[in-house]
Amino acid sequence: MARPGTAQPRLASGTAMLEGAAVAMLSVVVVLFLALPIIGVLDKAFRNADFLDSVSSAAATDALRLSAITTAISLALIIGLGTPLAYVLARSRFPGYQVIDTLVDLPMVLPPAVGGLGLLMAFGRRGLIGGWLDDAGIELAFTTTAVIMAQTFVASPLYIRAAKAGFESVSAELEDVSYTLGMSRTRTFLRVAVPLARPSLLAGAVMAWARALGEFGATIMFAGSIQGRTQTLSLAIYRSLETGLDVPLALSAVLILVSFAVLIVFRILARRSAVYI
Amino acid sequence: MLDVRISRSFRDFQLDVAFSTEGQTVVLFGPSGAGKSVTLRSIAGIVTPDAGRIEVEGRLLYDSALGVNLPPQQRRVGYVPQRYALFPHLTVAENVAFGLRGLSAEAKRARVVQMLDVMGLHELDGHRPQELSGGQQQRVALARAMAFQPDILLLDEPFGALDAGIRSELRQGLLALRQASSVTLVMVTHDLGEAFLLGEKIVVLDKGRVLQSGSREDVFYRPQSRRVAELVGIGNILRGSIRSSQGGSLELDWRQVRLRVASNLQLMPGSEVDFCIRPTQIMIRPANRDGYERENAFCGDIVEEVVGAEMHRLFIRLDRSQARYDLEIELPGYVYFRLGLDTRKRIEMSVRPEMIHVIAPAGV
Repeated sequence: MARPGTAQPRLASGTAMLEGAAVAMLSVVVVLFLALPIIGVLDKAFRNADFLDSVSSAAATDALRLSAITTAISLALIIGLGTPLAYVLARSRFPGYQVIDTLVDLPMVLPPAVGGLGLLMAFGRRGLIGGWLDDAGIELAFTTTAVIMAQTFVASPLYIRAAKAGFESVSAELEDVSYTLGMSRTRTFLRVAVPLARPSLLAGAVMAWARALGEFGATIMFAGSIQGRTQTLSLAIYRSLETGLDVPLALSAVLILVSFAVLIVFRILARRSAVYI
Repeated sequence: MLDVRISRSFRDFQLDVAFSTEGQTVVLFGPSGAGKSVTLRSIAGIVTPDAGRIEVEGRLLYDSALGVNLPPQQRRVGYVPQRYALFPHLTVAENVAFGLRGLSAEAKRARVVQMLDVMGLHELDGHRPQELSGGQQQRVALARAMAFQPDILLLDEPFGALDAGIRSELRQGLLALRQASSVTLVMVTHDLGEAFLLGEKIVVLDKGRVLQSGSREDVFYRPQSRRVAELVGIGNILRGSIRSSQGGSLELDWRQVRLRVASNLQLMPGSEVDFCIRPTQIMIRPANRDGYERENAFCGDIVEEVVGAEMHRLFIRLDRSQARYDLEIELPGYVYFRLGLDTRKRIEMSVRPEMIHVIAPAGV
């Protein structure tokens, strides 16, 4: 028989097994909860013999094309304008820093509908600067440009946040040394800060793109749902529900597959850009 | 020639540093928080002072009065920060090539190969910094800083991040570099041994100010203030009163002992002064003879001892003294054993007059 001293560990390992089983059960529940809706959509969509017809309907192809174009432009804008801002927020402190830093986060917390309404109140015909724009002959609301603005408004905080964290993780000392070695600020930024922050920049870009692709609330408020002009995938899925389940299911399946592919590509890219510490 | 005269206010720190040195190797020495690194970074142009002037080898880098403030890119300053700051996404060779511009691809390559050879790194050129040992990383940082032939090389605690074994090896490397190149070296350290070994000129900083700057011998053997004596680790900082002062010689009363000191100071008899004696400069022998034969001789008991790897440190209480101890003596282990010393033994000590340094009171 076991000596007295060994009784206790056994009891403890029994508890540990119970704990392990509980954690496993809970994990299975969560994974199922996340997976079932996806499986449900894919199952229904591919069982439909008219899947290809549904995907190639005019409304569907218009929406696919529009989403591809607008999210690409939005992402380019977010990266182009957001990267310098993220760098400034990571490296400098100035009066009003906290206000600006919080402002950048705000769209992440706001309901998208509020964002859309805000865009209308700023750039709509009767908005804050909409009057001037109208005088200049520029109309933004309910155009493809409005779709891009809505996506950029809602998605940019995700990128800026990640990029800022990425730049903060790059030691300022590396940049100091680069300056003493004769590199200008711009070259130092491109040759030291950006390569070292690349994993964070990539992650932020993927998150922002995914958010832009899924954008619904702000777009419908500020851009409406006009087929071929402002009706993106998410809007088309919602709108086509009126005429049955085939088209929304097919579009949803496409969206799921594309998103999945993007995440996988991102994982490969992230693994390839090594983490330097 | 390095001429620095700068001031800058920080939230909880005031830097007010002024020194001018000729030497090829200058050590900024002081406790942490003295302002050494900020001074170094000001020379590099990474920190901008509020006011002052910085001149290196006849080139004006900064002058607040003239409105001159060269950016770090134009200062021709090699800067090696404490943890070397190698670019982790670049190979060793790419790190060394980083500052080389305006050269053809071949010239660049040749320069990199040359620097790697000088630093004994040629087999590591394709490695990433994080694959190297601390000592190798430091050599890469030195090669990178030297590759573009700066006027001055600034090293912040060059050995601070390394193990003792590698440190001594690298000190040798740095001494070799100093002989191979005419570049002025300025390095920051809080380590006494390093400061002494590597610094021809030493600038002692404390709380944002220069306390003393001069040759290594001046600073280490002839500190101008009690604080400097403490910082450079003179074990025995004592206080005595002047008995007489004439013709390059002083007589001091210290406790029950009368000491003759070689010093040109003119001091009023009866005045109190600080003086110091390095623990290694005290000669001893067992006190078994009658009478003192040597100058400045006195007797005491060993009350405590600390045994180090190389040196024994003895704490001595003088005859008729009430103090826990009056004096520290440091001597090599073999001498200790040769003399058959032990705690509680009574010994006779003597100090040569030129080994006693009297700190001039302020205003003399």
